[in-house]
Amino acid sequence: MMPEHTIALERVNTPPAQTWNYLRANDISLMVPSRSRKGDVYFALPRLFGGVECGMGPQVTTWIESQSTDAQYVEVPAGQIRTEPIVASMDTGVMVRAGATATIVVCQDTKDAISQESAPLTSASLVRIIAERNAHVRVFEFVTATDVNQHVESVGIVAGKDAHIEVRQFFLGTQTSAAGLVCALDGNRSRLDLTCRYLARDTDTLDINHVVRQRGRLTRSEVHESGVLDGKAKKSLRATIDLIHGSSGSEGTELETVLMLSDDVTNKTMPVILCDEDDVAGNHGASIGTVAPEQIQYLRDRGLTHEEAEQLYVRALFDEALICAPNSAARDAVLRRATEVLGATVANDLIEGLGLSSLEEG
Amino acid sequence: MQDQLLRVSGLSAGTEDKPILQDVDLTVGAGQTHVLMGPNGAGKSTLGHVVMGDPTYIVSAGSIVFDGKDITEDSADKRSLAGIFLSYQAPVEVPGVPLYSYLRTITQKRPELKMTARKFRSRVGDIADQLDMNSSFLTRELNVGFSGGEKKKIEMLQLLLLQPKLAILDETDSGLDVDALSVVSRGIEAYRQDCDGALLIITHNTRILERLSVDRTHVMVQGRMVAEGPASLIDEIDAHGFEQFEHTGGEQQ
Repeated sequence: MMPEHTIALERVNTPPAQTWNYLRANDISLMVPSRSRKGDVYFALPRLFGGVECGMGPQVTTWIESQSTDAQYVEVPAGQIRTEPIVASMDTGVMVRAGATATIVVCQDTKDAISQESAPLTSASLVRIIAERNAHVRVFEFVTATDVNQHVESVGIVAGKDAHIEVRQFFLGTQTSAAGLVCALDGNRSRLDLTCRYLARDTDTLDINHVVRQRGRLTRSEVHESGVLDGKAKKSLRATIDLIHGSSGSEGTELETVLMLSDDVTNKTMPVILCDEDDVAGNHGASIGTVAPEQIQYLRDRGLTHEEAEQLYVRALFDEALICAPNSAARDAVLRRATEVLGATVANDLIEGLGLSSLEEG
Repeated sequence: MQDQLLRVSGLSAGTEDKPILQDVDLTVGAGQTHVLMGPNGAGKSTLGHVVMGDPTYIVSAGSIVFDGKDITEDSADKRSLAGIFLSYQAPVEVPGVPLYSYLRTITQKRPELKMTARKFRSRVGDIADQLDMNSSFLTRELNVGFSGGEKKKIEMLQLLLLQPKLAILDETDSGLDVDALSVVSRGIEAYRQDCDGALLIITHNTRILERLSVDRTHVMVQGRMVAEGPASLIDEIDAHGFEQFEHTGGEQQ
């Protein structure tokens, strides 16, 4: 029986093409606080955003909209190079007009986490982005908090002609994280570069769904996912490159590297390349396993024990996240998580090495 | 002789199914430069890896004493921290680990090299300049996508950063063009000058030795040390090859 104040988001974060259900890799179901009346006073985004496909699917979109007291709409005027990052709230729509440049930060905010009796404490982000022709959009996502039970993050991006979308995702914390992203490369010669880095340890569950819809001609997508699994962590990754009819001359590449530091982790990967056009290329590669013996030996020859060599991969995730963090909120969030995982000494060393101040120094 | 830094005595080692090194003796004094030469397949690289503690090889007899301590049973990481550095002939690619994270971690393992992160960045920058390296290398994954020459420069960068007491350079000069060879030679020279460390250079190429003052030359054939002499032995080998020694090696078997 469903606990009071709780609803189920059934089978969300699904890919366009699914596999056998018994593999339990097609989706995730989440118990979340029930829909709220907050959405009754909801300031809706412009109607155009209603047509943006989001990674976790319409069920999650409706639920987050019901929880958000307000929606944030930001428009970057044509030709403007906006240097100040746009910080996404629980529900955000960003319109990047022709030739404009924008940076968007999606940093898990636990202050607005949704809490109701008996329901898991849940944080959420819904971000929809429209990039017009020649626009350049950089999106940074950070999920790091451990003071909530679960996090859902659904992103939808539409790219116009010659638009360039760069996405850097860092999933480094939270007991249960589910994140989906759809990028529709609608315009000719539009491009997506997506890099996803993750760490799941202890009993964490991480569920990721990446979908690239390549509709325009001569579009390009590069999707690289890599991460570290430890303890009894469970990770599912669904990555779909959809080369739609009419996308002639397009190419999509998806590469995944998974490092498993424990025998008890569960790793599921579901790469799919859909193709309805002749003159296209879809590539996939995966490397899944433990650290290769020759790599371990190289690192041991330089003074690291076997365990330290493995932990180096974890430190590297945080180093990269800190280098990428475009604002202080993201940096502090990564640093807090680094302190929990690596200890304060290493965490402060990470940030000092980048020439930034530590948390204590503000 | 100066203080013995490395003393290999009666060392026999090999893989599970194949003996490679047989009764090898080698002594390197502190601050000395030794050259190890020999035909392909003689066991030179194996000796370097066995001294470093590579578990691929099993030591069946003999001992390795470094800096007064028997390290025959020690793991590679302990030997590294004791002051031995092996520069790889083909440095291993380590995807997922940026060069900066790696360098910082291996440096922090050495109490004598501990410094603030800011000073560390500055130190790495200085060495990178010395080796004509672009500091953008630091954010790239360790050895991934680097050319052969760039990988060797990264080995030199680590050598100068870690300042070991003994550096074993396993054909560091192989596959390098003239410019890269010049940079690597400068790196080795800087190591000798700045750290006064000892060198065991495994090479086929005498060009890398041009700027160095060689103390002793060793010749290995078929897993055995068959000759040892002064620096002039290198010129002799350059002129006449290894044929004379191969006969000796065969006789000793």
